[in-house]
Amino acid sequence: MEEARIGVYVCWCGNNIAKMVDVELVTELIGKLPHVVVSKNYKYMCSDPGQELIAEDILEHNLNRVVVAACSPRIHELTFRKVLEKSGLNPYLFEMANIREQDSWVHDNREAATRKAVELVAGAISRVQYHEPLDKRSVGINPATLVIGGGVAGMSAALEVANAGREVYLLEKTEQLGGMVSHFDLTFPYLYDADKMLEVMIRRTINHPHIKVFYNTTISEVHGYIGNFETTIQSDSNQEQTLTFGNIIVATGLRPFDASRVGQYGYGRLPNVITSVEFEDLLRTGQVRTKEGNIPQNIAIIHCVGSRNTEFHEYCSRTCCQVALKFANQLRSLLPDSNIYDLYADMRAFGKGCEELYTATSKKEIIFMMFDQQHELPQIIKSVAPGDPPMLIFFREKISGLGLEIPADMIILMVGMEAHPDVKDIAHAVGISICSNAFFIEKHPKLDPVATTTSGVYIVGNCQGPKGIPDSVAQAKAAAARVLATINQGSVHVEVTTAEVNETLCCGCQTCIMVCPYTAIHYDREKKVSVVNEVLCKGCGTCGSTCPTGAIRSKHFTDQQILSQIDGLMKMALKIE
Amino acid sequence: MEFNPTIVAFLCNWCSYTGADLAGTSRMKYKPNVRVIRVMCSGRVDPTFVYKSFREGADGVLICGCHPGDCHYQEGNYKCLRRFKLMKKYITQMGIEPARLHLEWISASEGKQFAELIDSMTARIKELGPSKIKTVVETLAI
Amino acid sequence: MKEETSQKPKLKLAVYWGAACGGCCVSVLDVHEKLLDVIAAADLVFWPIALDIKYKDVEAMPDKYIDVTLFNGAVRNSENEHIAKLLRQKSKVLVAYGSCAHMGGIPGLANFTTKEAIFKRVYEESESTVNPDKIFPQTHFDVDEGTLELPTFYNDVRSLNQVVDVDYYLPGCPPQSERLLEVFTLIATGAPLPPAGSVVGASEKTQCDECKRTKTENKKVKRFYRPIDIKDDGVTCFLEQGVICMGPSTRAGCGVRCIVGNAPCRGCYGPSEAASDPGAKMLSAIATMIDSNNEKEIEKVVETIDDPAGTFYRFSLPSSIIRRTIV
Repeated sequence: MEEARIGVYVCWCGNNIAKMVDVELVTELIGKLPHVVVSKNYKYMCSDPGQELIAEDILEHNLNRVVVAACSPRIHELTFRKVLEKSGLNPYLFEMANIREQDSWVHDNREAATRKAVELVAGAISRVQYHEPLDKRSVGINPATLVIGGGVAGMSAALEVANAGREVYLLEKTEQLGGMVSHFDLTFPYLYDADKMLEVMIRRTINHPHIKVFYNTTISEVHGYIGNFETTIQSDSNQEQTLTFGNIIVATGLRPFDASRVGQYGYGRLPNVITSVEFEDLLRTGQVRTKEGNIPQNIAIIHCVGSRNTEFHEYCSRTCCQVALKFANQLRSLLPDSNIYDLYADMRAFGKGCEELYTATSKKEIIFMMFDQQHELPQIIKSVAPGDPPMLIFFREKISGLGLEIPADMIILMVGMEAHPDVKDIAHAVGISICSNAFFIEKHPKLDPVATTTSGVYIVGNCQGPKGIPDSVAQAKAAAARVLATINQGSVHVEVTTAEVNETLCCGCQTCIMVCPYTAIHYDREKKVSVVNEVLCKGCGTCGSTCPTGAIRSKHFTDQQILSQIDGLMKMALKIE
Repeated sequence: MEFNPTIVAFLCNWCSYTGADLAGTSRMKYKPNVRVIRVMCSGRVDPTFVYKSFREGADGVLICGCHPGDCHYQEGNYKCLRRFKLMKKYITQMGIEPARLHLEWISASEGKQFAELIDSMTARIKELGPSKIKTVVETLAI
Repeated sequence: MKEETSQKPKLKLAVYWGAACGGCCVSVLDVHEKLLDVIAAADLVFWPIALDIKYKDVEAMPDKYIDVTLFNGAVRNSENEHIAKLLRQKSKVLVAYGSCAHMGGIPGLANFTTKEAIFKRVYEESESTVNPDKIFPQTHFDVDEGTLELPTFYNDVRSLNQVVDVDYYLPGCPPQSERLLEVFTLIATGAPLPPAGSVVGASEKTQCDECKRTKTENKKVKRFYRPIDIKDDGVTCFLEQGVICMGPSTRAGCGVRCIVGNAPCRGCYGPSEAASDPGAKMLSAIATMIDSNNEKEIEKVVETIDDPAGTFYRFSLPSSIIRRTIV
């Protein structure tokens, strides 16, 4: 092993790190460690001058290893690796110490935070000495794309990719395209006709020369990796077909919350308590009538059904308030003499045209009343006394504190959105994760909301989190653009921190073979050793810690590297004490 | 002098390390006693790392991974769970208080849980007192 | 007539035992008729079990006088340590011979307890002991004729390299005699030796490479058994039958002698070069084999592994990372 010449850079991150970590002291203490040739600190290491600093030092001081103590490697590891690359050093001869997200931002004792920073950097320095250069590997891209879900998001993405001349396979679980929007009558806030909008989209999708739609088809296992995926599907004709594609866009959407779970609303018991989805279907018939066929005189809309409630779903479903306003408007148009009550927990009317819709709706003699979502949900009871309205809503008006009784012939429950029951299967099939609310997890909630941590797999529309049509379409087109960019590049870099078997040490026990979830390891009967297919390997390292001889090395996470990190970290801890 | 435990933690990149970062971006505060070592998957955690941590003076060792069923690499966390259980038995035999080694599942969105975990584990280790492993191994020979 | 002078001066060979059972010394004799070749090429200058050469004779030797010392047995008391240091001084090449010198060996299992507990058990509590005055061994005892001395019994058993620098390790309990001959021949013929600190007389690969049992990728175990609990078919890999065999993590070189005798390997040849702890990797492999993802089920399977520490560190406890029980 060549002698390490390490350059260490401690970032201030403006005030973010420097406020709680004494960066000067860290620089000074670290500078005394063996093999540290340069130890500096700077306000913003990720900035151009910050990066320049490293580049210059690599040349001037003949550095062969670099450590940056700054934010999380999940933010800037790639940034700094590129700096090394441009300076002629292999990008993997680099290590980051996280002294922001996991130090300065989470501690309020400067001494403790500084000590922790020193120890973490010492660990990084110890580790980086054992880093080895790793060569980048590229794979080609199959220009076809798989889109899972034929709703608005799925179709938007499919059309965007197909319009660029690339093949798309669109899988739809049901027998028709359109998703949730096929239930809609008009869309908020401008009350456009949903049917017309959807009809155009569906026709374009079905007729598109580059889109192949598979109805009644669900996704099972997908094998492979970005640029080179493969799956076998079973369509309604029960024929099996293998599809190969380079990217996946998941657009599986959400489903309405089951209102019968909120017992006091009487859904399922009282025939004229209906969900917003059912009301949309009613609107599409052009006639709003009770189940008995009567014109309702008193109609109530209740917000936040199944949402913003720790008993059901804590999150807000984002669109229901605006749909409720839309309903109020449509009801007023269809039934000019009726009493319309809008019972809301909050009125969330953000976005273009929505506050204006609220203002306009409030002028249409609709009674808006607020209830407390946390403490007292309204209660719906069936009247028994003859002459009484069919249903009564008991609720406490929040602002006045008054207990009120509202008559109702029809009650519309604004149900929230929730994940489909098969979301775990889909996640598993394509290799992505779901959060505690069962939405797919995006790569970065702020900076990368359509990509996932699995290269080549994107999430668009409601399945990433509740949203309306404009946001779904925006996401869909964003994902399509990403996919097209990848296809355009022709190749993509894949994981290089893969496992490799030292055939001199491997005894052929085969303990590792079944451990790999990607079947990346096979047993070579002639050589009597295990062999790793580094293109299939995703670098999890499970085989590395399974191997009883230590023949399998998990590159960039070798035993030696991690043990030396522990060593450096703990030895510094004892030194400081 | 007050005992300030050192806890070495192995966090998997996709779930627990991200969850720990989330605690940071949310500015949650927790005890400064943990030292995180990032691995790609909790399935990478080799018992050698755990023993080495104890041997070099760690008062506690924490392993975090994705929740069962949610492992980014399918089943690495289950392998980790199996090794954890056997390691527990081994360290107990070696006279190390089993509570010094802890496994907990932390997802990418569980920043709060991570912060609470560090606080509770620090408190627990504080109660156990400093680990004697390093001193015993280095001084009890004669 | 002039006496025929040999082409080469004879190698000066020493064999010494620390905390040992004698098996390693027997393994040197076990080269049988080849012993004559050994004697032809070497002068045995020190071998307590076979020759009446005293410590003071060794002390009188010049430094590096002995060409090769095969030190077997662990370092258990101050005498073992003293002679280990003495022999290091007087030897060009010091070989840790056998599991005890290499890793601590069977005596190393004493690291599960303490000197205090051992003395109490042996000198006070054992069933056949009558010692009402609780007389324990002393390092010094004055009698009329002078002071009697006994070595200090250490609390920890240590491997040879934990007290002196070791040039080579020749593993095994005991080392396979053929391996000793191979190494000896290397040294005697002046062939280039591997770098200092290497393991010699053992393969780079572990037992599975030489084991003739059938191995498959089906390393999934629903529960573990003791060897006597199963009806071994003599053909299937022990692990695949649920019996813990240390083979995958133990160097080959013994001729898979235990497995040939239908017993699972116990690990006496020590770990491969890539392992930084002699038992951790096998523990990890065994745990990985547990065929369940359910926490309670996994716990149940772990219960069928009676004694992980003793199983994975039977011959190597002193050289493991944690090394001894924490008391």
